[in-house]
Amino acid sequence: MTEAMIDKVLAAIIGNAFKAITDEMSLTMEKTTRSPILCEAKDFVTGLYDAEGRMLEQTENLPILSFSLSPVCRHIAERFRGDVYPGDVFFHNDVFSFGNQNNDVAAFKPIFYGETLVAWAAAKGHQADIGGAVRGGYNPNATEVWQEALRIPAVKVFERGKLRRDVWELIFANIRLSIVEEDMRAEIGACTVGERRLLALIEKYGIDSILAHKEYLFEASRKMMEAEIARIPNGEFCGESTVYYDGKNEGSTYKIRVRVKVEDKRITFDYSQSDPQTNGFVNGTFTSSASATVLTFLQMVNPDIPHNDGMLQPIEIIIPEGTILNAAYPAATTFGNHLCPPNADAIIRALAPVIPERVTAGWNQLLCSLSTGMNPHRRDTYVDILFMGLKGGSGAMRDSDGYDHIGMIDASGGVLDQDYEMFEHMTPHTLIKHEFLCDSAGAGRHRGGLGVETIYRVGSDATQVVAFGDGDVEPAFGLEGGTEGTLNKIELHYPEGRVVRAKSKDLISGVPAGTVYVQQAGGGGGYGPPTERPVERVRQEVRDGILSLASARNIYGVVLDSLTYEILADETARLREERK
Amino acid sequence: MSFKVGIDVGGTFTDLFLWAEDGSVGSFKVLSTPQDPSLGVLEGIRVMAEARGMPLADFARATSLIVHGTTVATNAVLTRNGAPTALLTTEGVRDALEMRRGIREKQYDNRYQNVVPLVPRRLRRAIAGRIDFRGEETIPLDVESINRAAEDLRREGVTSVAICFMHSYANPAHEREAAAVVRAALPGLFTSVSSEVLPVIRFYDRVSTTVLNAYVGPVLRSYLQNLTARLADTGFAGVLLIMQSNGGLAVPAVTEHLPASTLLSGPAGGPRAAAVFASAQGHEDCILVDMGGTSFDASLVRHGAAALRHDGEIDRLRIALPMLDIVTIGAGGGSIGWIDEGGLLRMGPASAGALPGPACYGRGGERPTCTDANLMLGYLDPAYFAGGRLTLDLAAARRSIDELIARPLALTLEDAAAGMYRVINSNMAHGVREITVKRGLDPREFPLVVAGGAGPLHACMIASELGIPTVIVPSAASTLCATGMLLSDLQHDFVRSCVGSLAAIDPQRLRGLLAEMAAEGERQLAAEGAAEIDHQVALDLRYLKQYHEVTLPVGGELLAAGDWHAVVEAFHAEHDRLYGYQLKAQGTGLELINVRVRSLGRTHPPELPRLAPGGTDASNVRKGSRRALVPESGAFADVPVYDGHRLLAGNIIRGPALLERTDTTILVSAAYTARVDEAGSVVLRAEG
Repeated sequence: MTEAMIDKVLAAIIGNAFKAITDEMSLTMEKTTRSPILCEAKDFVTGLYDAEGRMLEQTENLPILSFSLSPVCRHIAERFRGDVYPGDVFFHNDVFSFGNQNNDVAAFKPIFYGETLVAWAAAKGHQADIGGAVRGGYNPNATEVWQEALRIPAVKVFERGKLRRDVWELIFANIRLSIVEEDMRAEIGACTVGERRLLALIEKYGIDSILAHKEYLFEASRKMMEAEIARIPNGEFCGESTVYYDGKNEGSTYKIRVRVKVEDKRITFDYSQSDPQTNGFVNGTFTSSASATVLTFLQMVNPDIPHNDGMLQPIEIIIPEGTILNAAYPAATTFGNHLCPPNADAIIRALAPVIPERVTAGWNQLLCSLSTGMNPHRRDTYVDILFMGLKGGSGAMRDSDGYDHIGMIDASGGVLDQDYEMFEHMTPHTLIKHEFLCDSAGAGRHRGGLGVETIYRVGSDATQVVAFGDGDVEPAFGLEGGTEGTLNKIELHYPEGRVVRAKSKDLISGVPAGTVYVQQAGGGGGYGPPTERPVERVRQEVRDGILSLASARNIYGVVLDSLTYEILADETARLREERK
Repeated sequence: MSFKVGIDVGGTFTDLFLWAEDGSVGSFKVLSTPQDPSLGVLEGIRVMAEARGMPLADFARATSLIVHGTTVATNAVLTRNGAPTALLTTEGVRDALEMRRGIREKQYDNRYQNVVPLVPRRLRRAIAGRIDFRGEETIPLDVESINRAAEDLRREGVTSVAICFMHSYANPAHEREAAAVVRAALPGLFTSVSSEVLPVIRFYDRVSTTVLNAYVGPVLRSYLQNLTARLADTGFAGVLLIMQSNGGLAVPAVTEHLPASTLLSGPAGGPRAAAVFASAQGHEDCILVDMGGTSFDASLVRHGAAALRHDGEIDRLRIALPMLDIVTIGAGGGSIGWIDEGGLLRMGPASAGALPGPACYGRGGERPTCTDANLMLGYLDPAYFAGGRLTLDLAAARRSIDELIARPLALTLEDAAAGMYRVINSNMAHGVREITVKRGLDPREFPLVVAGGAGPLHACMIASELGIPTVIVPSAASTLCATGMLLSDLQHDFVRSCVGSLAAIDPQRLRGLLAEMAAEGERQLAAEGAAEIDHQVALDLRYLKQYHEVTLPVGGELLAAGDWHAVVEAFHAEHDRLYGYQLKAQGTGLELINVRVRSLGRTHPPELPRLAPGGTDASNVRKGSRRALVPESGAFADVPVYDGHRLLAGNIIRGPALLERTDTTILVSAAYTARVDEAGSVVLRAEG
């Protein structure tokens, strides 16, 4: 790059323009896809990459997907070097060539300026089905990738603008739902929008200028990230966490161990000491695990660093193949994205002693369920992912409370609850309760985010409930004297009185109408000693019914009159003194 | 001689627009008085009387109409100074209000906190009783618990109560009964009942809107009573109308009943005026941008009326009443320039506001702002800012830009200022993209109407970044919203949910709902004295199993005839236009969600004066020239300066040029040519 060409102001403008393009690509996806996990939960990402596959900009809706396109783009750029033409479109999902999850299928479109490949536009979303043994893809019995999904290594579905009908038909002949075909067309549409807008930008500023300023933007982000890392003391810091139940052997546990090495402006996350992979589907892929690492670390630094390749340059991630976070071919891996929460726990534990002002305490982990069956009112089938039920609290920080009902760290508040009235229209169920769960937040000078309780009455016979997730054995941890949050739990109260507790990876069939479904999503961990929390805040939370009188006294050392909620000052002072 | 007055109370200034029976008009600005905004309003009226050389009482008596846009409701929400409010809601869902569907807008910022709810949890009372999704009662209402709650709320000092139960849009019986119990137990309290405020499906939308309505109700009511009394004291005996967020007017009594309809009262006046000035150029659509001291607003005019949305937010709180669709970003004259950790130049969103203000104001501001850059670039005359009321300190602007922008970036002073100008223009262009591209519209198909004191210096560059061919700077640019208020119609929006497959909807039921809403509209408009009444119908439709609806305007005669086929065809076409595909070939059925009626009472807006015609040559009003940046070449040149107040219709001025008025300065950049039209607008077109 020639320094002379750089116009620092134009750099900022081009950076804005990249962002506007990926936003517009994202909007195209949101408005044109049909599967609810795409158009409602926005489980997709759109981005622009340079000719080598380096990230220029992206619009991420769920952070876990954010860093999953660039590795594939590099792979395609490398593998098809010399064999890429204007009008080509590639599909890809293969987890053994840098895919993150089987269901996350990407479309890539090369962007040519004249004869020269200058960039790639890409979109990737969670598809409603991807073949394999089980509709929807979550197969707790899988031991190999083929039991989970159709593998799509990078293939051209369009070449020089012409549809490769045979390839297209081969792919969709192996997928159950026709909406997947439509939703993949939406991904191609988003790429086309990106291509048009980027070419217009090149027309306006000239290709040489765009390329030079691209490098400058990388450098700007790299410098910002380096400055953030430089604020962490040098050294090596270790953390670990536990993954519970592989879906096959009850009581099984696996360790994630991370060694974080900080050397001036560089940071390395080394997972070499983690446990070997499982023989079930609770396995990570390199890309999903590295995404989890990046998103967790990004929450500890300046949130305004533009997300491009430069930001990632000072970060190294080592995950040996064959470990639980990077399973070797041909392992089953569909649960891999959901290893983000324990991965985040390990990183937070490693860095909490070093940068206590920048970490959170533990977050509530994901425990998700979906119900399927017939809706007698509509005389049609339905599938409902109970988004409202799965979202617990985030961990507190040294200077702020956790966020209530935000959900797992890999979404960080990016997934919306269903609307209650729409829920009752679109499923046969009746909502009985969806409220904050009293005493669920880990206590502390700053408390964790609150968890929620969700109760509904099942409205038709032969309902099937699928559960997948974690957080039912070990609660979100506290820090610096803060206490832990509460556990996740899903129970079915059958009409005849039997109560069944779902396992964290489970499939329960034949649930009759009238069964009451009860789910608790736990709270986040607290930060700092509870006795340092201002007495008045404790009193307000008791008045608001999110903290019990007993917990106020026993955990926070705050004694209130049980009728008037007035503070009994002497007793409170005595109790707090004792606890010091 | 009689007068009509538009008054737009903003955060810093109260803008007034005066129309006199003889056809003359005037724009005025006085400082706002946030502690009691009616004082600023009165001061404005006093200033206008003075300008007309009349005693206040005579002027007030001669004023037949005052149209008022107020930020009282907005400020009550933003500063959390609304009424102590309680919520009675269905047992089991009392936290929906606070959860906001579990969203955190900033996913990587763990310090980002949720919004403080307008009703604390202890005042959100669960009431047993249940209506199901078909509108059938499954659990009877527990009246006793309402009485107990009312007793508690009295002790808590609550002055307003919101009532929102599950599925009340399908059957309001429980809400009505609860409201009756509350009103009997706590007479004088403000009540806001969801099935009256917004009888539509989607619980969070409804509960949030109903609570907002309750929260601002008592505040707006007392403000309007106070204002009415003060106006009466001056001798005013004309009609007072309030600007609503939907771009239409209403009498105070109606807004007191639905106070949440004033949450965007001020800015909602702008699009109507923009439409009038755009129509003089033959456009019935336009983009309106308004650049003030701290923020930049972008909104749209479609078919002569403000583009609305019913999924808006205020302070991250959902409000589902139809209101102006507006994008606001932190870009204004006071926006501060800074350098991020990566070494990139940024502008805003932080603003120096009016105090301390830009460095060149000499009021203690030290950080470089957009206005400082504009001064450095020669766009502002230090001696003629605000018509000479404030002398700008060029040395202070230079010092500030040099120290905090030029040196750190190793740029010359001029390049630093030019950079600030370019970056803020790029930010504003992004705001325009949001209101157009993100709504599926191509900005190049719309003229850009520019309002606000700071906007006309930036308009050409915003337009050229987006490829917009025409820019219109209206004669009333700096008080455009106040002007628009005088030009608006009476308007009331109604909505009812009617959920089900379109094929299975009973046409009789649908007609019944439409008739009910139209009758309500007639009743309100008749009470407001409207003569000419018009109703517009729209349906919220979606494909079966979709989640997002499309609002489709339909002719009333189509519905009367029960012509579903035409409705279905129109839906396919609209869906295709918005989202690029349709499912006609697949034969996918449609689902109806809501039915909407807009009742319009046409007013007879005052005629705005026409500008006297002149020749194409405007050299006689040229004041001189000054060294200023020509953005297209990036170089400074001697740019001619014209007296903007003496331009005549038909005048043509080629860029680069500066047209100075007391309220604003227009930059005609090199690629543009300015033409003055009969409405007094300066119309800028890219040539070549």
